[in-house]
Amino acid sequence: MNLTLPRFFWSEFRKRRKKASLITFALFWGTLSILLLMAFGQGMSQQSRISFSGLGETLIMITGGQASLAFEGLPKGRAIRLYREDIAYLRERIPEILRIVPESYNNWQVSAGGKEVNRGVHGTTADFAVMRTQVPQMGGRFLNPDDVAQGRKIAFLGWNVARDLFGTADPVGKQIIINRIPFTVIGILQKKLQDSMYQGPDADQIYVPFSSFLMIDNQPYLDRIHIQPREAGQSMLIEERVRVLLGRKYRFNSKDRYALGIWNTIEDSKEGLAIFKGIEIFLGIIGALTLLIGAVGVTNLMYAVAKERTKEIGIKLAIGARRRVIVQQFILETLFIFSKGTFWGFITAFNLVHLIRLAPVNYDSFGIEAYLLRPVFSLQIFLAYFVVLGLLVFLSGIFPAWRASRSNPIESLRYE
Amino acid sequence: MIELRGIKKVYQMGSQSLEALRGVSLKLVKGEFVSIMGPSGSGKSTLMNIIGCLDTPTAGEYELDGDNVAGLSFDQLAAVRNRKIGFVFQNFNLLPYATAWENVELPLLFNGKSSRKRKERVTELLNAVGLYDWRAHRPSELSGGQQQRIALARALANDPPILLADEPTGNLDSKSGEEIMDVLTVLWKEGRTIVMVTHNDHISARSQRIIRLFDGQILL
Repeated sequence: MNLTLPRFFWSEFRKRRKKASLITFALFWGTLSILLLMAFGQGMSQQSRISFSGLGETLIMITGGQASLAFEGLPKGRAIRLYREDIAYLRERIPEILRIVPESYNNWQVSAGGKEVNRGVHGTTADFAVMRTQVPQMGGRFLNPDDVAQGRKIAFLGWNVARDLFGTADPVGKQIIINRIPFTVIGILQKKLQDSMYQGPDADQIYVPFSSFLMIDNQPYLDRIHIQPREAGQSMLIEERVRVLLGRKYRFNSKDRYALGIWNTIEDSKEGLAIFKGIEIFLGIIGALTLLIGAVGVTNLMYAVAKERTKEIGIKLAIGARRRVIVQQFILETLFIFSKGTFWGFITAFNLVHLIRLAPVNYDSFGIEAYLLRPVFSLQIFLAYFVVLGLLVFLSGIFPAWRASRSNPIESLRYE
Repeated sequence: MIELRGIKKVYQMGSQSLEALRGVSLKLVKGEFVSIMGPSGSGKSTLMNIIGCLDTPTAGEYELDGDNVAGLSFDQLAAVRNRKIGFVFQNFNLLPYATAWENVELPLLFNGKSSRKRKERVTELLNAVGLYDWRAHRPSELSGGQQQRIALARALANDPPILLADEPTGNLDSKSGEEIMDVLTVLWKEGRTIVMVTHNDHISARSQRIIRLFDGQILL
């Protein structure tokens, strides 16, 4: 391969590198700004999604309510409560249910090592972990079916409860006293983002086997039933069946929206997804507009610099340069400037994003840092940016040279 | 060597058309030194550009060394400019960011000459115009006379048989102008064909023949 011409192009390029450096910087800055903007946008959207799923993604939660319609001679205003046997009752009659768990709740004094706090204690079963995103920290576990079957006195703590009672010490294996009854701690909830809840964030709750809960508080009714459908698309069907079945059992109108409290996170998540989609589309538009502004700036600069060199092209053509040589030189220069600018922009954005992600996030509050400190670097966005801007820069950088190389040399020579 | 028949050149300026050359016919033989003279706007630079293959005629025929120039492609014309014609412009037309050496080297580079041959030829030419010691300087660091000598060295790089000079002394003081004319005279005596545009009678007196243009036509 004859490298004479590329060497000549390189030596000419080096002489004009001060002018080129301005364009390189514009490309660097544009790349950095767009990649950071999109990374923060994606991060916010992703964190919102995580936070939204903190409660549980495919979940129907049922609580008792109050009849708002008279039914079969019964007056309105009656309290409708859920009972333990409703779990089996619904499971048998609704085959679309994958998991169903009971939950009963009370607030009690909880103490350990001389410290005492008042916290919500929940009695439930093992499947609660999967349904309500209860992931234990290393070295611990959630309740299992044997714990429930044997009525073990064990407890799973939210991380705030663990901190309040044990400070920095590891509580697993240690004892806590719930309403004067000793329980052994078997696990601590791993920190998570959670933007929806019913009795406060999971970080502040204590979970014990349902059977053990009844030993402290032998209430016949349930506070809540959690249902997970086999398929997310069946959630409305299950909701309707629950209303009909329990309506028949407790004698209320199945059309009565107040007889039962039903929180369908699947339906909520559809709305949530629409919001996240909206955020992403909005960010995409901002990104596209920023790209357009950047592209106009860079292409303008590129065009002006290329246009300024019309006379130089005329001189070269006059002394015998072929059209191909002129265009090749501009292609190589544009390629170099574009690659250099975007490469440094890419590297800087990539490292900044990963550096920011190292910052710790406080999960105890819903502080904005949880959304801002988790930007997501997207290679796809970079590639889209690279292709679009690359095309514009190439057109603006090469077009004047291509045009000049196709006209009579004398026209280019006259250009001032 | 050069034969033009009925050459016309029309420039389109918006809706108006300007006829710069109106049927020019002329013949130049090998080794001739010809001056083209005429008032401003008479078409002498246009004629020079067409002879130099920098511009194409609107109508007419142009034969250079027996080849019909109208039938040549853009790149073939570039090759003709590179090997057969050397240009010297009034305003030098040197690349401003390139050194004297690089400016002279450029036509050799476009002609595909090897590094060794380029080095030998550029050294020879810069010595011939007395500017070898100025080889690393850029045009802005040279006087007008020095710049025109660099331009002359560049024009001679591929040893072309034809040298075209468009007002070569127009931007020079009389001493530098005389020096350039001395070099052109030597080159003519060595056997090159020289075509020079000028409106200076004293300068044109150095040539063998004067062609006078007026309103795009040759005055007989």
